[in-house]
Amino acid sequence: MTLTYMNIMLAFTISLLGMLTYRSHLVASLLCLEGMMMSLFIMATLIASNTHFPLVNIMPIILLVFAACETAVGLALLISISNTYGLDYVHNLNLLQC
Amino acid sequence: MAYILFTLSVLLVMGFVGFSSKPSPIYGGLALIISGVVGCVIVLNCGGVYMGLMMFLVYLGGMMVVFGYTTAMAIEEYPETWGSGLEVLGGLLVGLMMEVMLVLWVLSLDEAVVVVVGFSDTGDWVIFEGEGSGLIRGDSIGAGALYDYGRWLVVVAGWTLFVGVYVVIEIVRGN
Repeated sequence: MTLTYMNIMLAFTISLLGMLTYRSHLVASLLCLEGMMMSLFIMATLIASNTHFPLVNIMPIILLVFAACETAVGLALLISISNTYGLDYVHNLNLLQC
Repeated sequence: MAYILFTLSVLLVMGFVGFSSKPSPIYGGLALIISGVVGCVIVLNCGGVYMGLMMFLVYLGGMMVVFGYTTAMAIEEYPETWGSGLEVLGGLLVGLMMEVMLVLWVLSLDEAVVVVVGFSDTGDWVIFEGEGSGLIRGDSIGAGALYDYGRWLVVVAGWTLFVGVYVVIEIVRGN
């Protein structure tokens, strides 16, 4: 079981690296953020099942609620960027030149 | 069959590498959906039936659908897939090779005496049940306790969702 935990933590780290590097699209980083939330959900559910502690199952549900909020706000920002610039290319966000 | 959980977690990492190598977002969404299915089967294998259902309904059926049609609004004419261009393909191959080498290294640790990630004893994989799988499943009872011990948390989460919808409306209104 420790190997499964290791793989899930590895998946979280890979998603984190994917979120921190930009290529051309902004929505790809939001997708990696969703991947991070999903790996955290899986990890918390496995811990709740394997330690036979059912009350911990509250935590993934609440994590899902707040991840949904975060997705909504991220997509709203994406939509407003896409309305201003046509596409969500990262090199369009160049107002701050320092 | 005893190693199904480990195999599924390896497939999960490969799916995560698939969208972290940053192809066009529509293909990234496809890889995230496949990773979500694999993750749900991992959760099901550990007895979390209600949690798997939550993940399918809320995560894949709610958030991924919204991602899908938002991506369809903000996409270019020729989306780049994993095979087009060297950057995405290189990232994917590096990630897959890293995972394969990690699995092979972990499998070769069988003969060590004191090891943190040992693979030899089956005691790691067996989840003991007290009275078998009875009528009371632990995860649905635990999530149901949200409305009992976590009354205030439900109120806070509901208020957060409501304010989140208001924030989204204000952002999208623009001007």
